[in-house]
Amino acid sequence: MTVSLAVTEPGNPLLVPSGVSRARIAGSSDAVLVVAAAASGDEMAFRELFRRHTPRLLQFVTRVLGASAGDAEDVVQDTWLRAYPALVTFRNESSFSTWLCSVGLRAALDSMRRGKRRSFEFLLEDDDAPLDLPHHEDRMDLETAIASLAPGYRMILVLHDVEGFTHEEIALQLGIAPGTSKAQLFKARRVMRALLTGREKNDVQ
Amino acid sequence: MTYSDNHELSEQERAALAALPRELAPSDLLEERVVRALKNEGHFGAASPAQRSWRSAAMKIAAAIALFAGGVATGHYAMSQQPAASAAVRQASLEKPAPTVNGGAQSVKNNETVVAEREMWL
Repeated sequence: MTVSLAVTEPGNPLLVPSGVSRARIAGSSDAVLVVAAAASGDEMAFRELFRRHTPRLLQFVTRVLGASAGDAEDVVQDTWLRAYPALVTFRNESSFSTWLCSVGLRAALDSMRRGKRRSFEFLLEDDDAPLDLPHHEDRMDLETAIASLAPGYRMILVLHDVEGFTHEEIALQLGIAPGTSKAQLFKARRVMRALLTGREKNDVQ
Repeated sequence: MTYSDNHELSEQERAALAALPRELAPSDLLEERVVRALKNEGHFGAASPAQRSWRSAAMKIAAAIALFAGGVATGHYAMSQQPAASAAVRQASLEKPAPTVNGGAQSVKNNETVVAEREMWL
């Protein structure tokens, strides 16, 4: 199937397409743009997908990376480089945004463990270890508290409490047991509450 | 805002989490960066590195063939010039007078003179 939404000139990324084509692209659904970008290599369709979904992807990746969010744009670029060849496998079973975020999660994980050659397990806190609650004198805002969490806690809290994934979906994405996801979330919430309440940390413990 | 230590989130916590921003504007250059990176991988009609290296190899082979053909042509030209030069040399040697029988007798006579002189010294 050949779908082309705009006439683009190879090698000239700054070429402005005609107004009609632009309007058609802007009015197209994600599914149509995905087919146009994947099947026909339509650059303008891809650019429209990029503009629609990158802000959400960047926010998601930034939250997952936490303190190392300086690499967020590199991870977003890596995500698109992985996602583009895989567009043909997108089946509309979930929203494009959710699918893209799952690709972004894998790119973020790879970025965090680069050079360590280990699974997600390396990010998890030891279940038997006593919970090391932070000792901040000042209350933090929610965003800063999430960014301050240990990577294993942060990732599961972001996926479950912010993005709305179920424990089963998180387990599938991260290659862990659903029970591990639940235990990590419980601890992550405790640490987050301690960070948010500042001096009241002792009450939480 | 107060936060409970229950396993479940309170309504306040849920509301705070739901109110978090969902989007973050990327830098202006990110889109071009990503599109350029995809083109470098051969998408959107650009030649991939593999295609580029194949073309480069083809160009090198074509250049080698051209160089070889040039060498063969030069060799043929040189060979076509050589018979003429050989003929000239042959002609010159034919024009030189050949040693005569008398000349040979002269040589024998000279040798006899040398032998006689040597015997005088001994």
